[in-house]
Amino acid sequence: MNVAKTASWIAGGLALAGTLAALAPPGKVRGFDVDGFARLPVLEGGRVKPIDSVARNTLLMIRSQQSFRHEGRTIGAEEWLLDVLFRPEVANAQPVFVINDPEVLGLIGLRQTSDRYFSFRTLAPHLGEIERQSQAAHPIDAKERTRFQSAIVNLFERVYLYYRLENTLQLAGSPGLAAELRDPRAEGAQERHRALSELSYFRPLPPPAGQAGDAWRSVGEALRAGTAGNVDPALDPLARLSRAYASRDPAGFNAAVADLGAVYASRRPEAVKQADHETVFNRAQPFYAGMVIYVLALLALFASWLWKPQILQPAAFGLLVAGALVHTGGLVSRVILQGRPPVTNLYSSAVFVGWVAVILGVVLERLYRRGFGTAVAAASGFASLIVAHHLTGDGDTMEMMRAVLDSNFWLATHVVTITIGYSGTFLAGAIAIGYTFRRQFAPRLDPATSKALVSMAYGVICFALLFSFVGTVLGGIWADQSWGRFWGWDPKENGALLIVLWNAIILHARWGGYAREKGIMAMAIFGNVITSLSWFGVNMLGVGLHSYGFMDKAFWALFGFIASQLLLMALCLLPRQFWRPASSRAGEEATGTV
Amino acid sequence: MTKPLRTRAWDAITSLKLTIACLSFLMVLVVLCTLAQVELGTFGAVNKYIKSFLVWWDVPGTLWMIPVLPGGALVGLVLAVNLVAAQGRRLELSWKKSGLWIIHAGLILLIAGEFVSSVFQVESQMAIEEGQTLNYIEGRDLELAVMDVTDPAFDEVYSIPDSRLARGGTIAVPGTPVSFQVKAYYRNAELAPRGPQDPPSPADRGVGASVAVRPMPPVSRDDQVNQTAAFVEAVAGGRSYGTWLASNVLGAPQSFVHEGRTYVLALRPRRQYLPYAVTLKKFSHDVYAGTDIPKNFSSLVHLSNPSRGERRDVLIYMNQPLRYDGKAFYQASFGKNDTLSILQVVENPGWLLPYISCVLVTLGLLVHFTITMRRSARRRQGAQEA
Repeated sequence: MNVAKTASWIAGGLALAGTLAALAPPGKVRGFDVDGFARLPVLEGGRVKPIDSVARNTLLMIRSQQSFRHEGRTIGAEEWLLDVLFRPEVANAQPVFVINDPEVLGLIGLRQTSDRYFSFRTLAPHLGEIERQSQAAHPIDAKERTRFQSAIVNLFERVYLYYRLENTLQLAGSPGLAAELRDPRAEGAQERHRALSELSYFRPLPPPAGQAGDAWRSVGEALRAGTAGNVDPALDPLARLSRAYASRDPAGFNAAVADLGAVYASRRPEAVKQADHETVFNRAQPFYAGMVIYVLALLALFASWLWKPQILQPAAFGLLVAGALVHTGGLVSRVILQGRPPVTNLYSSAVFVGWVAVILGVVLERLYRRGFGTAVAAASGFASLIVAHHLTGDGDTMEMMRAVLDSNFWLATHVVTITIGYSGTFLAGAIAIGYTFRRQFAPRLDPATSKALVSMAYGVICFALLFSFVGTVLGGIWADQSWGRFWGWDPKENGALLIVLWNAIILHARWGGYAREKGIMAMAIFGNVITSLSWFGVNMLGVGLHSYGFMDKAFWALFGFIASQLLLMALCLLPRQFWRPASSRAGEEATGTV
Repeated sequence: MTKPLRTRAWDAITSLKLTIACLSFLMVLVVLCTLAQVELGTFGAVNKYIKSFLVWWDVPGTLWMIPVLPGGALVGLVLAVNLVAAQGRRLELSWKKSGLWIIHAGLILLIAGEFVSSVFQVESQMAIEEGQTLNYIEGRDLELAVMDVTDPAFDEVYSIPDSRLARGGTIAVPGTPVSFQVKAYYRNAELAPRGPQDPPSPADRGVGASVAVRPMPPVSRDDQVNQTAAFVEAVAGGRSYGTWLASNVLGAPQSFVHEGRTYVLALRPRRQYLPYAVTLKKFSHDVYAGTDIPKNFSSLVHLSNPSRGERRDVLIYMNQPLRYDGKAFYQASFGKNDTLSILQVVENPGWLLPYISCVLVTLGLLVHFTITMRRSARRRQGAQEA
């Protein structure tokens, strides 16, 4: 085995080992089997998921993070949720509500300081005012709300979510679940049970084996339906678990978790298995790990241009392949967990776009072996996973599909092909950006590499045209099947059409000889603008039948991206190293080193 | 030596520059159409930019209209001509070019399909309640229906399109002695009970006398409906039967009697009667447990066509339309506490064209790119060997 191969195997192997290390089961938190609790399945948002997912997603919605530091130690999402459920007085003191809007802060009598996180206890005296302001803003269409109105509605929704969580298993401030079970006819019990069933955020009680898979019940429903001899078997361990956690009794807690697990295993073994898988997936954070590995690959590649390319370039490629494997693993897990094709929402489209770009980049690197495939693949993979990371704030990324989208056939054909089309266009743009940097900043150019880059970009554009065309027309056929209109000029359809048209223009301009090397590359960069507009921009318009992907926060990010691409186009079209005096450039161009 | 004009025109029509210009114009139009949808709604924007030959700009403050851009129809037409002409002139008939031939044939079919749809596609609705049987569908446009209900066994329905009402003047209803004089027509208006300070209503008969009509700008959003109002004077046999207010928001029927025949007036969505009847047996609307995310909408309907002796149940649900007799019925919406189902009814004789074109273009792209890739691979191999 030669040096290059060894370097790439070692680099890739280390990256994979680092990722796998995250899968090791976590230890007990102060003796409590938090992990065992987090793996229990519940029904929330229409699907069965582990408590771990509920904890992560809700903390993400409330605080925009999956863990936080408080009083000198890091509190994970699962531990936070345990406190919310069973020790509300502790949870209420933890600063989990992030508030950025100065007007909202002013409303609750706080000043904007470096600390943007507030506890429920801090907010509690102002709940009435928050609710009043939010109710006033609520009837206004989401697109037409002012910044303050959006922020206050958002804060109220988060506070209400928190409040529902607190009252899911037992009413906060009541004697607790054990007391409810002991005396179901106590004074006010009926009202409490009703409140519990109305407020509960998730449904923890699995249906018996014979019943429908989604007939899970909340604690309130079970208490109301329960008669003397017919109490849901999960309620008793749940009550013990609650008491043990509140009274800081790890042994009792762990025993109750084990009992609860046994009930689930006997009633819904498949749900337990599914929740187990999902917990592992959550913990591994494959897309986060992939992001880190892609950055390492990029760094190794940059370093290789300065030092020991014969070792570092293969090492970068090894890292890229490791990143691609982790990325693929994550993607496949999502497909298995959800039972759906890979792209089901904006978040997963970002993950998938990156994945396709990386795979194409690996292929290009094998074909051309100049390090450019690695560079663009790692950069695209990293960029798309960053985008995906910022799209997770809405909570569950595996939410159920709305009726019109509920078709695995069309999700697998139209959505996947169109997303591959996005990927191809972005990859061509990334190659063109690489070309631009090289042209402007590399100390020496050889025409062969430039030619290789142009032919790479050309091939990728052909690929992108094929997939975006097929995807667009398949979308039309789906529309014909579900709305009766092959083509409705809906913004999302138009966006897809723009990509097709632009790629067709690039190819025709090349065939006609109207655009040469630089021109084609600048056009390929503009493809990034078109694709970003089609992917995210049309969602911001908020019209049309595709409004399920609506988002308003990313406007400035998109704006910045487009501005950067236009600058890069200008850089691409300017003469090589335009900042140097023309006389010193002329000699170089004449000798044909451009 | 300059080329003769005919050659130059032929050069221009077949040039690749024209192709690129058309594609660029199409991009501009698509962008404008997308942005305009916020203001004009999908229908308005598509009519302005795509289904038009020229895009007109209303000069503010004047009545002038200046064409500023070629419309989608014109660009599509030029592109199709360019495609056909260039194909005939430049591309030799060879295996090497077979992919391009297939692609371009498919594209021509796609453009043709879009023309066929824009001319012949009719979109209507059927709003049907559980237990109800309907034998008609309703369009987006309105009609003034004049119904002779004298015979208890059947009604005779005469229809005046609202575009005819908008033109004003006198409209004779063929086959009857009745004619209408249009006194006023408002495409969109607000109807309210007439207060003491409102001017007297032009209507002197029916409910219209006590209603105040305030003109409003027509709505643009696709989910809003114009409240159209018209004042019409009914004349029959040289005698006036008074001025009536007709509007699609008025519920109560209004009628007058002439020579023993009773005529009912109603401004309503234009109806198209079907040679068969549809009964809604059950509408279902499921959500995912514990959420309000819709899981499925479906309408179980009974289709009955006596002329063909057909009686059967059909389940219409998302992505599963009923295609029958040239029309397709889609589950579109619902209402009235899940007892009303709204079906979108589309008639498009060209619906199959995009399917064929899609297959052709995909095949063509695959063939062409395979050929080019093999060629470039061979070239690279040759370069390595050399």
